Amino acid sequence: MMVNRHNYDVNATPTFRVLSEDQIEAIYYASLRVLYETGVRVYDSEGVDVAQSGGAIVEDTTEKSSLVKVPHYMVDKARATVPSKVVVIGPDRKHRMELYKNQIYYGGGSDTPYTIDPYTGERRRSTYNDVKNCARIAQALPNYDFHMSLGITQDTAVGTYDRWQYLAMLEGTSKPINITAVDIEGVRDQLEMAYIRVGGKEEWRKGPIFTLYIEPVSPLSHSQEVIQKLLFCCDNHIPFVYTPCPLAGATAPTTLAGLLVQALAESLFGIVLSQLRNPGAQIIIGGLMSNMDMLSTIYSYGSPEMALLSAAYTDITKWLRVPEYETAGCSDAKLFDEQAAMEGAINIATSGLIGGNMIHDVGYLDSGLTSCPELMVASDEMIDMVKRILQGIPVTPEAMALDVMEQVGPGGHFMEHDHTYERFKTEIWRPKLIDRQNWENWNMAGGKRYGERVHDRVVEILEAETEPLLDDAMYQELRRVCELADARHKDEELDVKMFV
Amino acid sequence: MSEILQQITTAVMQGKKDEIAQIAQQAIDEGSGAEDILYKGLMPGMDYVSVEFKAGRVFVPEVMRSARAMLNVMEVIKPLMVEKGISMVGKVLLGTVKGDLHDIGKNLVGMMCEGAGFEVRNLGINVEPEKFVEAVKEFEPDIVGMSALLTTTMRSMGDTVKALEEAGVRDRVQIMIGGAPVSQAFADKIGVAYAPDAAAAADKAKELIANSR
Repeated sequence: MMVNRHNYDVNATPTFRVLSEDQIEAIYYASLRVLYETGVRVYDSEGVDVAQSGGAIVEDTTEKSSLVKVPHYMVDKARATVPSKVVVIGPDRKHRMELYKNQIYYGGGSDTPYTIDPYTGERRRSTYNDVKNCARIAQALPNYDFHMSLGITQDTAVGTYDRWQYLAMLEGTSKPINITAVDIEGVRDQLEMAYIRVGGKEEWRKGPIFTLYIEPVSPLSHSQEVIQKLLFCCDNHIPFVYTPCPLAGATAPTTLAGLLVQALAESLFGIVLSQLRNPGAQIIIGGLMSNMDMLSTIYSYGSPEMALLSAAYTDITKWLRVPEYETAGCSDAKLFDEQAAMEGAINIATSGLIGGNMIHDVGYLDSGLTSCPELMVASDEMIDMVKRILQGIPVTPEAMALDVMEQVGPGGHFMEHDHTYERFKTEIWRPKLIDRQNWENWNMAGGKRYGERVHDRVVEILEAETEPLLDDAMYQELRRVCELADARHKDEELDVKMFV
Repeated sequence: MSEILQQITTAVMQGKKDEIAQIAQQAIDEGSGAEDILYKGLMPGMDYVSVEFKAGRVFVPEVMRSARAMLNVMEVIKPLMVEKGISMVGKVLLGTVKGDLHDIGKNLVGMMCEGAGFEVRNLGINVEPEKFVEAVKEFEPDIVGMSALLTTTMRSMGDTVKALEEAGVRDRVQIMIGGAPVSQAFADKIGVAYAPDAAAAADKAKELIANSR
């Protein structure tokens, strides 16, 4: 008997850590210096006013922008009110994300111009139906906790596609969604759609069904659109993701520590502005950090630096106690091939082991330009394996099974023991598409590669009959918001073919 | 009467290893014969478990438990079977060949064969060819199953076949082999049957019996 641990089980989740506390503090205080001395450029006069009224120094104002310098105490003040937890609940009121330290949730990525056709394998422009299909796949996969479009609806109007895209997603999934918006009007329309979907503004307040994706521009620039979206979210109880996408060696220092300092300064400005506007405003900071490939110039989604930076940033946000946006399940491969599986496995495992919160871009290929249903399905199984690892090994007298070993004895077997029978299903992870048959049985079952089995599963999901998530009346009401938006913009050049 | 046999089938399917003996006793008391209990009660239950196992819906510890339930009933009905001269599906003699101490795969085969209605004698591990010969003479099995996990001990399989030939008993039995390094090609070379895993071994045993009768 372990006397000093008499009353509890010794149970720990394996964790991974990139930065020490001293390193995190060094990065944090360095980013405060960047905010105070280098400043950030803000391209929105209302945002500049909010910052200035809170104590920021405003310099070098031009017709379009100002340099805003933020003293340290403003950050301290903002940190006192920024929520350490953000909750997003799907319209079914079942699927939920409780975003705080070490709570992992995986989901897709936003607006890719291309998708891999699930039937022909062809890379082509994505459409409304593709977005709906990706949402249906996300709905069917148990390890997808939230959804993002994984495609732009390029068969709808350019200026209003965001509403149609949201409708397509609402048709396919009842999980929380991280939306994008063309502009403030697009956010407003989608908020109205969300009210319709969830049953009114008060229901929304009890559990928002979407977060808004907002992306400031690295290095240290906050556009008018970005600031306006941030302020709108603060005013309307919309949780939002504020995620710069710095590129080591291009839009941030090539040294990863320097990139982290810059990214944190960019995020902290979002925290400061949001808390000045509405103390308690729900912000999630992130999230996509990588290196530029110095030959192809692409933004690498599969590099080890991407996984490492995301993990390091998670360490920082855990220390800050602010919910975090993280990146995994993505690759630079052009198809769902060995490279995609390899890069996806590495970044999914890293993001899970570090305890990232809202882990997005699952299903991205081609440096974020192409979505891939097959990578979605394969990632679901990779996430499942990582979750098993995260369960760790509970070390209890019962689990150490000394009495069972005594009973079985040297040379015996455990296959028939009650201890095995009662525990094998919970103790030992079981694969879904991963194959563990012997050669003969695998061969007899068709001898299919993993990719072929994944493809079959994609088709199976798409062809399964499912109950519609929206009844006809609700669908018509939601559709009307989209059509009214189209009507308002009818005099603009709404070239449907612009994307194509 | 068929209701109680159905209960036995269900108890096998659910692996009710402790309750099942009592149900079997009740069946006997109510007038069920041993043959019916075996072929209409136990075997349909094990057939179901076997199909579910191959489909990936039932797992090894559950198969073990169902097989154990069946064996617990066999204990009860064995005297009756002997009395009435009722035979099992067939007899299987098992062993891990000389030089090899690996036990688990062969034991799995044994359980699967018992579940399929065979009487199984397990000679254990590191079994010398002569031991196989003796047991064939004494136990008179329909099938001899040999197991090896090591490429180095595979040749003992050939030696055992040769020993059975030299003793003049090779023609009285069917031989099948298995184990991780063993293949159909190797089995063909030494002139025996092959099964790639335990469930396939039970099927192969049934197939060999059917072909020989």
